[in-house]
Amino acid sequence: MNVFLRLENLTKSFSEGETRRLVLQDVDWEFETGRFFAIVGKSGSGKSTLLNLISGIDLPEKGAIWVNGHNLTAWDERQRTLFRRTAIGFVFQFFNLIPTLTVGENVLLPLELNRVSRQEARRRAEAMLAYVGLADRWSTFPEKLSGGEQQRVALARALVHDPPLILADEPTGNLDDETGTHILELLARLSREGKRTLVMVTHSSEAASYADHVLRLSHGRLWQER
Amino acid sequence: MPLLRTSLRQPVSAVLVILGIALGVGVMVSIDMANTSAERGFALSTAAITGRATHAIVAGDQGVAETVYVALRTDPVWRRQIAMAPLVRVLVSSPQLEGLVFTLLGVDPFAEPPFRAYLSAAEGASVEAAVRLLTVPGAVLLSAPLAARYGLEPCPPDRLDDGCRLTLVVAGRNHDAYLVGLLDPSDAFSRRSLETLIVTDIATAQMFGDMAGRLSQIDLILPESLDPNTLAAVLPPGHLIVPAGRRSGQVVAMTEAFRINLTALSLLALVVGIFLIYNMMTFAVVRRRPLFGILRSLGYTRGQVFGLVLAEAALMALIGTVLGLGLGVLLGQVTVRLVTRTINDLFFVVSTRAVDVPLSSLIKGSMAGMVVGLTAAMLPAWDAASVPPRLALLRTDMESKAQRLVVLAAVSGLILVALGAVVLALPTRNLVISFAGTFAVLIGLAALTPWLTFWLMRFLSAPLGRWPGLLGRLATRSIIRAQSRLAIAIAALMAAVAVTIGVQIMIDSFRTAVILWLDQTLRGDIYIAAAGFSANRPDEPLPAEVVAAVRGYPGALGTAGLRVVGVESAYGPVELVAIDPETALNPRLFLQAQGEPAQVAAAFRNGAVILSEPLAAHLGITRAGGTLDLLTPQGWRSFPIVAIETDYASTRGTVRMSLAVYRRLWADERLNGLTLFLPADADIEAVTADLRRRLQAFPHVQVSPNQALRQDALAIFDRTFTITVAMRLITILVAFTGVWNALLAFQLEKAREVGILRALGLTLADMHRLILLETALAGAAAGLFAVPTGYALAWILIFIINKRSFGWTLPMYVEPTPFVQAFLLAVGAALLAALYPSWRLHRLPVAAVLRND
Repeated sequence: MNVFLRLENLTKSFSEGETRRLVLQDVDWEFETGRFFAIVGKSGSGKSTLLNLISGIDLPEKGAIWVNGHNLTAWDERQRTLFRRTAIGFVFQFFNLIPTLTVGENVLLPLELNRVSRQEARRRAEAMLAYVGLADRWSTFPEKLSGGEQQRVALARALVHDPPLILADEPTGNLDDETGTHILELLARLSREGKRTLVMVTHSSEAASYADHVLRLSHGRLWQER
Repeated sequence: MPLLRTSLRQPVSAVLVILGIALGVGVMVSIDMANTSAERGFALSTAAITGRATHAIVAGDQGVAETVYVALRTDPVWRRQIAMAPLVRVLVSSPQLEGLVFTLLGVDPFAEPPFRAYLSAAEGASVEAAVRLLTVPGAVLLSAPLAARYGLEPCPPDRLDDGCRLTLVVAGRNHDAYLVGLLDPSDAFSRRSLETLIVTDIATAQMFGDMAGRLSQIDLILPESLDPNTLAAVLPPGHLIVPAGRRSGQVVAMTEAFRINLTALSLLALVVGIFLIYNMMTFAVVRRRPLFGILRSLGYTRGQVFGLVLAEAALMALIGTVLGLGLGVLLGQVTVRLVTRTINDLFFVVSTRAVDVPLSSLIKGSMAGMVVGLTAAMLPAWDAASVPPRLALLRTDMESKAQRLVVLAAVSGLILVALGAVVLALPTRNLVISFAGTFAVLIGLAALTPWLTFWLMRFLSAPLGRWPGLLGRLATRSIIRAQSRLAIAIAALMAAVAVTIGVQIMIDSFRTAVILWLDQTLRGDIYIAAAGFSANRPDEPLPAEVVAAVRGYPGALGTAGLRVVGVESAYGPVELVAIDPETALNPRLFLQAQGEPAQVAAAFRNGAVILSEPLAAHLGITRAGGTLDLLTPQGWRSFPIVAIETDYASTRGTVRMSLAVYRRLWADERLNGLTLFLPADADIEAVTADLRRRLQAFPHVQVSPNQALRQDALAIFDRTFTITVAMRLITILVAFTGVWNALLAFQLEKAREVGILRALGLTLADMHRLILLETALAGAAAGLFAVPTGYALAWILIFIINKRSFGWTLPMYVEPTPFVQAFLLAVGAALLAALYPSWRLHRLPVAAVLRND
């Protein structure tokens, strides 16, 4: 199976006053294309830091991140941003929809950033919204939606430009159980159907149960739990 | 404490609010200082001169004949009934007294005690000094503190020497005076009053002032039982009895419009400040709603939360006010000089000494700063107190509330504009009412601005969504959705920029009108006048030798004379300008005339007068026709008013009369100015140089070619508005601080949105563009709405405020430049606010903001 994402000796620490706290220490891992990975760990274990490194939002102190054969850590800030724009779909715990844009416009956003033509973008965004069951909410502002609906919009936004990598940071952390289950099912289905690599960090073992592989992050190290 | 700590975590915001208050208070204090100093300077000098007199016998600038005093003094009946004292007033300066203007007061020491206490021996002047005053030619007395300040010592009792000599300059001529004694009155008021006086005897004052045989006035103390008319009946023609306080009352009235205009302009900065403090406090409350929710959950009562917010506002207002008072005192050093110079240019010679800081100005400034700070914080404090005891309200609830307020403000704004228009339409000359109407219109239009901004952004959303695309859509939406943060700041910036446009158009229109008026008025080639203490009035008569030299200048086509003199009218003293009708009468300047120009000229030659527009306005005369009574040496005489004409030379206004008629009636051959007409091919520069050479024995006589005089006039015009421009700039600065504060907060608050967009793939360059676009749009909205508002203000200033203040009719000249400049100013100010958030972009912890709700 193809390796889409490879972490190589990844090390990251943060300063806390006078001392430095090591969050990731020589982390090595390979993420195969089209697989669903759940990374579990306690709060503060470095799960989100790992996602930020993978997305290029943050940089490691040591090591490299290889995406489709390219060394992400060797790129400059602009290249990493453009990589995020084209290759990554983000799903956040707090949905992070743009409050000033309507549901439709939020979903259109990645397509516009990728300069997809207006008609094509509209068609794809409408289709994606229909897929997540919100076709009739195109002109609604996010504040009018429930948490579950907002997360579905966030899913649509994360997938609409067909990115090969989905990064989900506690996607159900702010939802009730039933809605969370629904979102996870949707997330898993969407990534599998699109043969996308999905990396989700969560502290919930129930959420992790949807993944093909469960990895645990603890004391700066990553290992396979299941 | 929790509030203070959160404020301290946003120090830039707190500093900008404090700066806004400080600037507002500073401007107000400095202008109040200037107004008070000028008023007090004049009040002290008039009070020092008036003393305990109840009335005075006057006869215009011609002066009272000395014989009148002698006759009354020797009349056993009048001598028993009334106290009287002759007085000669001459404006002088001295290089040993920093060149400042003083009043040389010629008195009779024996007649003085009932009138001016400080001249009596008991009050400080020694008997010897009084005797020397009478016996030594050129002897003068100064107040002891004044002499000490300039290191002047009185002459020894036995001799006069250079050590006690004082050079006094009167009408450009130097006179030697000798300091023979010091006045050291016991009370503070008299000491202050004497700051602007140099006391001498009647003969010396007459000699220095070229007033042989004449007195400025005869002071009287009339018993209440005596009807002043009884005394007036025995006075020779041309003399008048007036109440003693008349002059100071007239001066106060004369400058009132000027002072109210200045005060209104200075208050503008505070009004803008109110908006901004309100905005900042609202913003601070909105930002900390979760904190208030927590405090309420922990048991804080509404009153306690209200008090906390108000206390925070009070602290900032206090710091701002204290800084503002300091700033005001510093600015006051400049404004006192500017205001004094303008009063000297436009109204009368006033002498203000070392700038003191009136307690009243500090109290007014303190109260204004604290009241503004606390009033502006009231509503936000109430809002904070009404936060329910839970963690937070949704931000969207805040914005929905703000949207409702925007509509409410728009409706209130429309009502306010309508009310303002009604107030302005009232047929009154009361400037306070007029400015209240103007402020109502301005504040009303400012209140409409958020609503207009909302619709402008909605309108722009579609085109900007197409180009530049996503960023355009994001920017317009952000502004629409951030009404709670931006609305008031945009309104305040709009108001400040609108004032800039309005005042600029008013000044430009005024300047253009003055230039056109100068074109019509200055038609000679070279002008000759004696330098006086006033920049735009030829106060001093020309020496006869100068008149003869100019009249006989070889090769000249002709000359025209001008006599400017103060005369008594039925309405009080007026300035009479006697001109040569053949050269100085210009029908193009007539606003109102009785008949055709030829008929007006004929009537004028036969004794009719022309009123300048400001004078006609002061006298309540709206049409030519009717008569004006003037006191001539032969007694009261009615002069037909044949025309009312444009005249921007003086706000007091003038009466124009034929020089021949004036000379016949007043028997006065002197001239204040001469105009020389030269052939078309004459070398004006060469003739000017030649005339200056011929008149070099008279250094105070100024020979100015037409062009130079025109430039001088415009220089006076420009410096009159220096203070206006300065205050306008400060108002803009206050608005800028508010806008920076609001836009800064707006951008910093969007950290989360920025984080999302960065995560989704917006580059740093895109984010810079977005921030610039948002702030530019906010500035553009303010600039755009400032255009019609500025036009409306200009209209009000030109056709209502100016007319009611000074009586001038000005045409309105509208050029695109002020509008473009103001628009760019608004956008530029807003863009400046983008610098810091743009810089912070690089340091934004994207990961962290995405994880925090």
